[in-house]
Amino acid sequence: MAMQGGTALQEKVSRMLSRKHKKPVLKPNKPLVLKDEVANRKIKKGEATCVTEMSMMMACWKQNNFVDTLCSNEMQSFYTCVEKAQIAVKNKSEQHTIGQSGRLQPKQATILLKRYPNLHVEI
Amino acid sequence: MASTSGLRTTLSKMAASLTGLLKPWTPRVLLVRWSRYNPYYLEPEPRKEVYHIPETELTPEQKEERELKSVRPIKAATNSVTSSVFNDPVLSKFVNMMMKDGDKIIAKGIITQTLENMKRKQVEKYHKAPEGKKAEIECNPYAIFHQALENCKPVIGLASIQKGGKFYQVPIPLTDNRRRFLAMKWMITECRDNKHRRTLMYEKLSQELLAAFSKEGNVVKRKHELHKMAESNRAYAHYRWW
Repeated sequence: MAMQGGTALQEKVSRMLSRKHKKPVLKPNKPLVLKDEVANRKIKKGEATCVTEMSMMMACWKQNNFVDTLCSNEMQSFYTCVEKAQIAVKNKSEQHTIGQSGRLQPKQATILLKRYPNLHVEI
Repeated sequence: MASTSGLRTTLSKMAASLTGLLKPWTPRVLLVRWSRYNPYYLEPEPRKEVYHIPETELTPEQKEERELKSVRPIKAATNSVTSSVFNDPVLSKFVNMMMKDGDKIIAKGIITQTLENMKRKQVEKYHKAPEGKKAEIECNPYAIFHQALENCKPVIGLASIQKGGKFYQVPIPLTDNRRRFLAMKWMITECRDNKHRRTLMYEKLSQELLAAFSKEGNVVKRKHELHKMAESNRAYAHYRWW
């Protein structure tokens, strides 16, 4: 089944390269060979965490002329928020690397492809 | 299939190196003490109290930990870690940061002189103070050092983030290590730069630490200036993406 799919693809490519009917669709300047690696997916840009806590703390600072002792409650809540955000980030990255949800991660795919690379020298 | 299981172990080593879920590993060659170890190695425990707990009073987690330590290899302890009562990791870090060209003897000497100087000043203040105020004066130089460092630590920092071709100073939360590093760095640079030619380092350092203990002085001023900058730039807080 893979061989049938393979030959169909090669026939289509040769049709696109041919100059029989009209201008060729493909004019490759490099050989049409896949690389031994997969491009890394861009991680979704997250949002700024703990902005509310930060703004509350800054408002308290503004009121009290940047004296730290009077703003200890806000500072404590800011620290707890930051800790929670860090733990959340760590858990999320761990979950991404370990649980793939049916699809291989780009790094893992690259490792597999590098083990069985394209042959460019005749053995 | 052999390839996928091999892949999984490689990936588990990559991803879970810090969680310690590695397959059992023994070194093929005997390791000399170095700073890079296989994540399979455990940290050494320098504190004496942990080993003096009798068998009966161990919690189940501690028992598990002891059993794990009997099977797993352990990293060699560095020279700076001791089991003595005077071992202070924060102070050791400060000494290392003050050290120049690897001369730890001079740096440690300066710190000892600083602590002694602080103690002398505080004891003098103690004896001159009236009876009511005597209890408030802190004489322990280690306590003064720790409190002064705490007072110098900034709460948020600024990061240079590029958006639309321009760079903005964005307020960001800092990790504990970064805050401690900044406090120590500011203290050391302040004492190196802003002093009279004839004052020695320990003298200036003791002055600065005592000032920071009572929340005055240049280092605490620098921390407040950083806070003010962050507060003025609070509109750019949303430029962060983490």
